[in-house]
Amino acid sequence: MQYSSQAVAKPYFIAAIGLFVGQILFGLILGLQYVLGDFLFPEIPFNVARMVHTNLLIVWLLFGFMGAAYYLVPEESERELESPGLAIAMFWIFLVAGALTILGYLLVPYAGLAQLTGNDLLPTMGREFLEQPTITKLGIVVVALSFLYNIGMTVLKGRKTVVSLVLLIGLTGLAVFFLFSFYNPDNLVLDKFFWWWVVHLWVEGVWELILGSILAFVLIKTTGVDREVIEKWLYIIIAMTLITGIIGTGHHYYWIGTPEYWQWWGSVFSAMEPIPFFMMTVFAFNMVNKRRREHPNKAAVLWALGTATMAFLGAGVWGFLHTLAPVNYYTHGSQITAAHGHMAFYGAYVMIVLTMISYAMPMLRGRTAANSNKSQVLEMWSFWLMTIAIVFITLFLTAAGILQVFLQRMGENPLPFMVVQEKVALFYWLREIAGLVFLIGLLTYVASFFVGNDEPEAKTAG
Amino acid sequence: MSQAFTKAMARNIFYGGTVFFLLLFLALSFDTVSALPKRDNRANLTEAVAQGKKLWENNNCIGCHTLLGEGAYFAPELGNAFKRLGGKDGVMAFIKSRPAGGIPGRRSMPQFNFTDAQLNALAEFLKYSSEINSANWPPNVQG
Amino acid sequence: MQKNKYPPGDLAIWIFILAELLVFAAFFGAYAFTRLKNVELFNYYQMTLDRNAALLNTLALITSSYFVVRAVADIREDDSKGCKRWLWAAIAMGAFFIVIKGGEYAHHFSAGVTLSSNTFYMFYLSLTFFHFMHVILGMVILAAVALKVGRGGYSADEHTGVETGASYWHMVDLVWLILFPLIYVMR
Repeated sequence: MQYSSQAVAKPYFIAAIGLFVGQILFGLILGLQYVLGDFLFPEIPFNVARMVHTNLLIVWLLFGFMGAAYYLVPEESERELESPGLAIAMFWIFLVAGALTILGYLLVPYAGLAQLTGNDLLPTMGREFLEQPTITKLGIVVVALSFLYNIGMTVLKGRKTVVSLVLLIGLTGLAVFFLFSFYNPDNLVLDKFFWWWVVHLWVEGVWELILGSILAFVLIKTTGVDREVIEKWLYIIIAMTLITGIIGTGHHYYWIGTPEYWQWWGSVFSAMEPIPFFMMTVFAFNMVNKRRREHPNKAAVLWALGTATMAFLGAGVWGFLHTLAPVNYYTHGSQITAAHGHMAFYGAYVMIVLTMISYAMPMLRGRTAANSNKSQVLEMWSFWLMTIAIVFITLFLTAAGILQVFLQRMGENPLPFMVVQEKVALFYWLREIAGLVFLIGLLTYVASFFVGNDEPEAKTAG
Repeated sequence: MSQAFTKAMARNIFYGGTVFFLLLFLALSFDTVSALPKRDNRANLTEAVAQGKKLWENNNCIGCHTLLGEGAYFAPELGNAFKRLGGKDGVMAFIKSRPAGGIPGRRSMPQFNFTDAQLNALAEFLKYSSEINSANWPPNVQG
Repeated sequence: MQKNKYPPGDLAIWIFILAELLVFAAFFGAYAFTRLKNVELFNYYQMTLDRNAALLNTLALITSSYFVVRAVADIREDDSKGCKRWLWAAIAMGAFFIVIKGGEYAHHFSAGVTLSSNTFYMFYLSLTFFHFMHVILGMVILAAVALKVGRGGYSADEHTGVETGASYWHMVDLVWLILFPLIYVMR
């Protein structure tokens, strides 16, 4: 670790991993509720568990992004963080606000939480992924602004690299587009139209900039390839991301009351969205092949390559499967959407945060470059367990989705929703088993932080 | 000696392309917002519909259901529930009759103890939603 | 050594050009496919387009491409002044295109035509407006190149930027050469 203020990243990463475990536990509850409908009913109804599952995901990814930024920006800018104290203060504010929100979901009926937090003053609750009470949303804005100030000042006063500039643009976009979560008109179509300005322009827009810059940083550090080369790739990849992804928003505007030309605009541009992901895969493997040194942290390199591969599969391939309007007409809002969501989020965002944690954590814990061999072996086991588990979760959900579409939406005698759900239950059971494997992988991952700590650092082989 | 592929050019394409497509997106969004009155059924957006939407949000219905295909995939699509359940009376009777303890072994909708006025508002909201021009989606009445 | 470099200009612009051509190709394919299913509707509304204006615009873009070729030839001879003049001439032809096309749009909009009017107008407006924005972007790029030429930023030895801008402009021209027969002429 070159700068002492990079240390503020550590609590962010620990919180991220802790919330990740929570997210997966609730995922398993949800998976069980899919097959045992009355499981935990009415104590934890499905909608509450799902809200916890998705909100924890978003919050822990944000913790991960912030931790990543606090770690990489001082190193890129070649100066200490503008205000480490502010970073720590914001950590606690965000953690407490997040914990209170989750407890609110679990302990108070949602309508009561809405009343308690004065949702009537500025109604923003009750929309998918934006279920947080308005006051929590305001808290997120405060945290995001302080964070941007902290990162922005460090970047502007220090060495400006492409990696830190792209990260800053991505984080600024994240904060700006979140503001649309405060717009909630009575008109359902307008509500949905601008809701996507948060959701799509986050995950298929500015978040990919954050992903790209973190990946570029880790590749620069672990491969020793010339910064110029990597930054060139970074620019061209994120250029393609936004060129395809901004108009690609149109693939959400097929069936929600918006004009029908979006079926063409959305199909054409979102069909191109796999291109930047494919370029990212080629880029990552190329850089690792051209590496000028063997980095002792093999686990981090594995995570980086895994991110590039799984992001392409999950976001690129599984996204393309149902993005064309004539296909989407039948698959919209089915288990196919769920399949894509799981692999895309894992492949792109979960894995990039774990890549960064894998790279930075050894230094944050006092190592010079890498963990011991024993620890890394366990971490790589967890990589394979989680990644293979998510592939199977995706495959089972895709199978369930294809059957669902076939039975419920096509053919002469379409069957009712619940009848179809029972017919595809086998795949939900298989998904739950794959989910258990994922949990085992995650626990292995956590365990990798506790083993081999008294053993020497891994050395580069050959 | 010039390079075949320069960082400056990659940077220009990133900034230029982003601004270009952002402007195009804004232009299309502007057209969309001005074309919406013909499609979004705003003529029938009454006080009761607005109240129904708020109830829909305050009870996090989207945590189980989809509405126009967006939401969770645990419970049936509601964009056309008004038609599927046979109109207003059907919708109100369904929501009202959910057992508080759930149905053993099955996915159950909670009993929300809505007043008649609230049930009416929810039904009005689902009626309004079902009349939005969604380009013939969903494909059939099963949603 | 510069003169035989292939492809001309910066490789990055070719990635961009390929991506753009892919988008246009997809749109053209969609247009052709939809037209086959709605021949009568398309034939009927194609009659409302101003073919003469489009022909003028075609000539304007071809001429501008020629000017750009002359500009590249001049800089290869180290003639910055000539290069600059040809570039501004090309930009002027682009401006001519914008004015004519703007007149066509004004005519359609005053008749109440929008993207939602019908399938033909949806494609007509989408395709031509998308191209229209490319003409503007191309002009911005050529202007940036012309200004740098004016400052003496390019020479016979180093003029990748001129070639890059020229390549992009030819792409814009090429797309129109497909657009024009596809939308205006073919019936």
